Amino acid sequence: MEKLKRYAKNNPMAVVMVVLLVLGVLLPLFLNKAYVLSILCMTVYVAGCSLAWSILGGMIGQISLGHGAFAAIGAYIGTVFITYFNTSPWIAMAVSFVVVGATITLLMTPCFGLKGAYFSLTTIAFGEAFRNIFTNWEYVGAGQGMMLPLVRAKDESLWMLAFRSKASYYYVGLVLLVVFYLIVKWIDGSKLGYALKTIREDEGTAEAIGIKPIKYKLIATFISTGMVSVMGVFYATYIRYISPELMLQSKSLEFVLPAVIGGISTVEGPVLGSLIIVPLSQYLNSALGSKLPGSNLVVYALILIVVVLFRPSGLLGWWQEQRQKKRIAAEKAELGEEGKEQVNG
Amino acid sequence: MNFNVIFQAIVNGLMIGGIYSLIGMSLTIIFGVMKVINFCQGELLMLGMYCTYVLNSKLGMDPFLAIPIVAVIMFLFGVLLQSLLITRSIRDGDDDTNVLFLTAGLGILFSSSMQVIFGTNYRSVESHFANQTVSIAGAALSVNRLISFLILIALTVLLFLFLKKTRIGKQIRATSQNRTGASVCGIQAKLVYACTYGLGAAIAGVAGACLMTYYYVFPNVGSVYGTRSFIVVTIGTLGNIVGGFFGGLVLGCLETLGALVVTSAYKETLVYVCFVIILVVKQRLQAKRRA
Repeated sequence: MEKLKRYAKNNPMAVVMVVLLVLGVLLPLFLNKAYVLSILCMTVYVAGCSLAWSILGGMIGQISLGHGAFAAIGAYIGTVFITYFNTSPWIAMAVSFVVVGATITLLMTPCFGLKGAYFSLTTIAFGEAFRNIFTNWEYVGAGQGMMLPLVRAKDESLWMLAFRSKASYYYVGLVLLVVFYLIVKWIDGSKLGYALKTIREDEGTAEAIGIKPIKYKLIATFISTGMVSVMGVFYATYIRYISPELMLQSKSLEFVLPAVIGGISTVEGPVLGSLIIVPLSQYLNSALGSKLPGSNLVVYALILIVVVLFRPSGLLGWWQEQRQKKRIAAEKAELGEEGKEQVNG
Repeated sequence: MNFNVIFQAIVNGLMIGGIYSLIGMSLTIIFGVMKVINFCQGELLMLGMYCTYVLNSKLGMDPFLAIPIVAVIMFLFGVLLQSLLITRSIRDGDDDTNVLFLTAGLGILFSSSMQVIFGTNYRSVESHFANQTVSIAGAALSVNRLISFLILIALTVLLFLFLKKTRIGKQIRATSQNRTGASVCGIQAKLVYACTYGLGAAIAGVAGACLMTYYYVFPNVGSVYGTRSFIVVTIGTLGNIVGGFFGGLVLGCLETLGALVVTSAYKETLVYVCFVIILVVKQRLQAKRRA
């Protein structure tokens, strides 16, 4: 018990995440309304994508603005697997992780010499190019997109990810999100994570101490784009309709904003950010969308602007800074007193 | 494919490229001084278009006559934007990630608030020269596009005169060459920043007003032109105004000529692939020169 208390004091974030998880599991039991569940589904989807994005955007500092398109490719792979091959989306997830990860990594390889905003520009270019190709590709429904058949009672199965209730989708998404979180948390504390963060802080230093920037950037891109495409497969089975609209640049921003608001360089930031922003924007969309279309986006943008201006490191980043400051102040005070005692003695 | 088709494609490309040049120059001028990429440049163009639309529908003003007013409004708007918001975010020096997010957020704000005000309908203006065409050496083109192109040339000349001759223009050039050196000489960075951003916004607004004469406006029209402006400045080297001018024309021709080769459905892909190739090759060459 004593041990547990100390652990909680040292890792308050872990406690918060466990509490959130318990709440997340229990919530649908009490609030079993389709509207609430659809918000929850979108929240876990965006949180998962945002987490995947943060490997590239947060840990290594390469701001990708093409993740919407990469997730959409995953969604396309999932839909094609179900409609044309009648294969499970779980298999599609594995396939899209490897295929999307490898393809994007291959495409990005020549672009890693580019710094800062230039890198973001190439990711925009890739996203737009993919959108153009998919808009004209007859096999995947061209501009109209593809539709999965509505689920009938006898078709329900976990293997094919076809449910009639939104709660089941929500739990599948939640499991994916937890897995993603554990992966990112593990990377964050592993040698790989430290290598990535070293590259973010100073590429020259990283190279000097034997960390090859290109190698680690490739690994990060592979994991990040692969993971986001897995989330895309989940999205396709849940919404059951996909179109090239999914590849719009604004969709990529939807994954970036939660991470920015929550704290770009923390693992929990993207999750907390999506918990705040997605329900809010979904609520505003349904409350104001019919009266004043677009007003939900106004609020969304205002929140982002306020956070970037006043808490540039995000809510969690700011909280961590405060904690660190307090600790340093406490240590200083302690040292100061010791120093005085020595003088007196 | 005969010569006439190619010639027509080049002429069309130059006309489209004119707009790209304008927005590219506006982006590059801002980058040159502040060293940040403005991710809401396309939305500034969109605001310029709506400005023209309002002046036309409410006051019955011809879009071409509205250009000076749009330019002044957009200039003031840009100055306000820079001095109230963007300055706060570029204090960190070399880390431009926050400015990226801030300007992207501003972009969403602009397009969504226009959606709130005007709805998502496509809107166009009535212009004096609508539907009139002239033919030059066998290539037909609309009068509106031709006038827009001439405005582009005139504006580029004016811009150069402004930067070379006026006091504030010289200050802008000095700041873009060496920020510290300029401030040592007593140039007020804040003033220069505000003016530059205002200038960039005004040029984007003029581009929007020109575009409005033969195109229609809707809240998300900016995203296409915003992305194009990034390509333009990359072709012509960021911060280089002459490069921005020719980069726009090259991109316009690349689009129309590319449409002949890969059919117009895939011209976007061609443009983006060319963009990435240009970017990567340029960077490699630079790295080699340094080594």
